[in-house]
Amino acid sequence: MQEKYLTDQTALLDFLKILSQEFRLFTPKIKESVPNKEDDYIYYQGVDPAGFRFNPYRVIDPVKTFFTPAVEKAAAYFNVQDSPGVPVKVALFGVKSCDLHALIFQDYVFLEGLAEDALYRQRRENTLIVSSDCADFKEVCFCLAMGVKPYPEKGFDLNLSVLNDGYIVSIGSSKGEEIINKHRHLFVSAKDSQLDGLRQKRENLCSRLNERLRSLNIPAYDSLQRLMHQGHDAETWKNFMRTCVECGGCNFICSTCHCFLLADRKDPSGELNKEKSWDACQYAAFSRVAGGANPLKTRAQRLRNRFLKKFDFFVTHMKMPACCGCGRCIEVCPGKIDIREVLKDLAL
Amino acid sequence: MKTLYTPIEAVLEDVIVETPTIKTFVLRPKEKFSFTTGQFIELTMPEIGEAPFTPSSDPNLKETIDVTIMNAGKMTSLLHQASKKISLGIRGPYGKGYPLEKFTGKDILIVGGGVGLAPLRSLLLSLFAQMHKYNRVVLRYGARSPDDIIYKQLLPKWKNVKGLDMMITVDKGNPAWAGHVGLVTTILNDLPLDMQKAVVIVCGPPIMMKFATLKLLEIGFKPEDIYLSMEKNMSCGLGKCGHCRIGPYYICKDGPVFTYEQLKDLHDIWD
Repeated sequence: MQEKYLTDQTALLDFLKILSQEFRLFTPKIKESVPNKEDDYIYYQGVDPAGFRFNPYRVIDPVKTFFTPAVEKAAAYFNVQDSPGVPVKVALFGVKSCDLHALIFQDYVFLEGLAEDALYRQRRENTLIVSSDCADFKEVCFCLAMGVKPYPEKGFDLNLSVLNDGYIVSIGSSKGEEIINKHRHLFVSAKDSQLDGLRQKRENLCSRLNERLRSLNIPAYDSLQRLMHQGHDAETWKNFMRTCVECGGCNFICSTCHCFLLADRKDPSGELNKEKSWDACQYAAFSRVAGGANPLKTRAQRLRNRFLKKFDFFVTHMKMPACCGCGRCIEVCPGKIDIREVLKDLAL
Repeated sequence: MKTLYTPIEAVLEDVIVETPTIKTFVLRPKEKFSFTTGQFIELTMPEIGEAPFTPSSDPNLKETIDVTIMNAGKMTSLLHQASKKISLGIRGPYGKGYPLEKFTGKDILIVGGGVGLAPLRSLLLSLFAQMHKYNRVVLRYGARSPDDIIYKQLLPKWKNVKGLDMMITVDKGNPAWAGHVGLVTTILNDLPLDMQKAVVIVCGPPIMMKFATLKLLEIGFKPEDIYLSMEKNMSCGLGKCGHCRIGPYYICKDGPVFTYEQLKDLHDIWD
């Protein structure tokens, strides 16, 4: 597919404006600037009044929040005949490669297997993903160590890479192609020299990130399943869980974590329904059964469970670890438990 | 909109007291609902919650489903207080049940502990329906005490089932108990089985399953011929919610019936 080029910021703003007529737009915005601290970004509904600018790295919230919300009504009781309603079309700007990689796992859970989750499918189909290259990385970023590039290669509808004054536009799906064809007048064809420029930019970022990761010495991603098997009884789990306060933050903020719980509720109108909410395997009650038996009694067992799921279970089923190296779990943890350090410790 | 998790309404038609802590709930689903023996359902108590149970009735009965439930937690204690005619919800069935087709021509040993006899009752009733297919069925059941034996009305009738060899033991007897006393593993010696073509199905509390399995291996069963009904806190039933993972499996979709061969190299299977 031939790459396109948006010549300047005005062309991009025109594009955003056109899309906003059809989609509910979410675009990156700095949460709040704190001096001497790297900026954090959020998905902002609309376009930042201070001006649109792509986030140099991923935003705070994982992209899963758009497809499998923290809490949602999953079913009404018995034979309700209500219609599903008109789905909202969403366009998401600034999704990064790590989050696109993580979506592979969410899709595997909710779209494949024994049955498809129709609500998830509906949201996926009604969302236009406009991703963008990373221009920089956060202190906690380690995507390359998990085999994930800091620029999107697949999983997007459109990808925009900042180059000079404009944006190189790559098309990743028929949905994306349709949008481009519909608004052809906004784009010109990207020149080979521009594509060379993009390649150069990507290589530069990769070598900078690789240099940083070399100093961290994270075990190779294709060795992680072996580490899990060898390290089942390692002291690592006990040592690292000492500061765990069981907040579940690492699970909730994780791009690939998907566990949920169904609960029965009566809503304010008196209607009974099943509510689906995120669950966390770091919670003491995660695997407790009636009568009190609990296969994951200790925090060490639960920490190990989280790692086994990512680096053993998913490697068995999907041939790759369910970690995209976004580092969100490191940032969120009040106990300063660092996934990279846990893996390193297991490899010792 | 009907989703993956929409329950079917089922009326609680009858409640049978089995023991002081165990009752059998007879449910009449308002829509067509069928299962194969060993599969489980998610049972909803409106507003309260949902939990997984394996039906204890004959899957060939299409109108009603029996579920035998121990009062063990929040939802089950409320269920034990429930009165007849209320509406419950069911969804499923989930998982892979007992592979009856693999039992044809075999000597079938069934080992149950406590309320673990519930799914096995469904299995036994399925086997009784076509006993000619199986060489022999041997039931060994253990309960904590004579009072804790479930299906007290039914078990004496099974004595007359041709081709069934049945023995019951209790961990602790009482003056009225004339039967065997000891753990269920103590009645697994000298079984009337042709070990060359025997399979065994075990269901009970984890500790009982563990020691029964060890005993069965000792008396010559091969790991691939030992079928275990595993349980965890299955919530979605479809391999999505993540609760019942054990190694590379989800109990809800890859089980709940596993061979010991599938599980033997995994960690912490009895926890």
